Amino acid sequence: MTLQVAPPAVGMSEDVRAGAERQSGWLVVAEQECRDLWTSGRGLVLLFLFSVLLSAVTYLTSTNQALNFLEQRESVNLVLQFAVAVGVLATLVVSADGISGERERGTLETLLVTPVPRRSIIAGKLIAALSLWFATFLVSIPYVWVLARGVGILGQALALGLCVGTLVAIGLGCIGLLISAVCNSNKTSIAASIFLLLILFAPTQLPSGLPQGWFFEVLLRANPVASGLAYISSMLVEGHSWTQDLSFLITPLLTAIIAGGALILAGPRLVRLTRGVNAG
Amino acid sequence: MRKLLLIGLLVGIFTVLPAPALAAAPLDAKVDAEPAQVSTVLGGRFKITTPITNTGARPSGEILAHLNVASIEGSVYVDPEDWSSNRSQQLSLQPGESRKLAWEIQAVNAGHFAAYVVVVPYGSNVVGNEGLVISPLVNIDVASRSTLSAGGALPVVITVPLLLGLAAAGTLFRARRRGSGR
Repeated sequence: MTLQVAPPAVGMSEDVRAGAERQSGWLVVAEQECRDLWTSGRGLVLLFLFSVLLSAVTYLTSTNQALNFLEQRESVNLVLQFAVAVGVLATLVVSADGISGERERGTLETLLVTPVPRRSIIAGKLIAALSLWFATFLVSIPYVWVLARGVGILGQALALGLCVGTLVAIGLGCIGLLISAVCNSNKTSIAASIFLLLILFAPTQLPSGLPQGWFFEVLLRANPVASGLAYISSMLVEGHSWTQDLSFLITPLLTAIIAGGALILAGPRLVRLTRGVNAG
Repeated sequence: MRKLLLIGLLVGIFTVLPAPALAAAPLDAKVDAEPAQVSTVLGGRFKITTPITNTGARPSGEILAHLNVASIEGSVYVDPEDWSSNRSQQLSLQPGESRKLAWEIQAVNAGHFAAYVVVVPYGSNVVGNEGLVISPLVNIDVASRSTLSAGGALPVVITVPLLLGLAAAGTLFRARRRGSGR
């Protein structure tokens, strides 16, 4: 993730070292990581693909006459859930590349010798990954506006998407970084993260007509992604007040706290070089 | 002795013979509906209230008020569950007591409809031949509307990817030039 095209490691460490002397380490790492993500074009390519997907979903929704009833709330909900899901996926993939990618490219050693605490390195990488989530959210605004205008739920939909999406993105971003710190191979880290995300998204794709007993309820509430999306649906489609189904946000909040706490506590021990890996 | 035999015979007959069907007590209640007329657009939410009064001299026991919606013009299929998620309310009324029940409704079809509330007895002792009490109809006119159109969405679904694609291509091109310049 922090890879620079040329020279990869030295440029990075010099920037970080010079910056660290002037300001907080995490801020320097975050700035460098964001610059790396956005000026290399990787972030914009991901955003472009995201916008193509969102365009397809929005166009199909707006041409589907069957979705025209119920004040288009279902359409807004569908597009918003899609935006949150794909935005979180992009955040997870970027954070899953954070540590294992550095190890694999041989740039971690250089980063570790800079005068920046390891917790600051982790915090900087998490902020860079979250910058992608915020960018995907900004891109989704015009799509939500197209569907929600005239219905009076534009502000509510955007506020919901931002709050719930950020909460889920923080939790999964922390999990992605933990996986990345534990895995030696970048491929393993990204594959494990995507597999985790698929497991988390699976319950949201179950047909709503299926009988939903206590087991389904437990499964839904234990899943940070499914429960976050259920909270969005309950407000946008069912018209519930923001306090009515607040319990749906317990799992995303706990995930962010537990994964973030684990990252803070175990991060300094996990962010290290491992035997048998090219250290540059 | 003969008297005793006669009594025993009568008791035996009444015990063996099936009990006659119980006469169901009629439901002495009155249901109104307010407002009488609702005009809304597709997707509009509104509320109707139904005051229920026990007009009898006895407590009503457990009764159930149930909301129903029917299409009264054309051949529009109506699924009342889509119109209101909470269509049954259980209550009991003392003689002379009145209670207002509120019903949240969302118009999910366009056309001309009627909503009404029917009060039925509730519980395991319901025989089946009790009278029902039905409210007057609430006329519902739902106008069609379609604020969502493919034409309206087209500028956004084309412009956003186009701008992002151009920005991504420009950034990649500059990054490549910078890389080859070093």
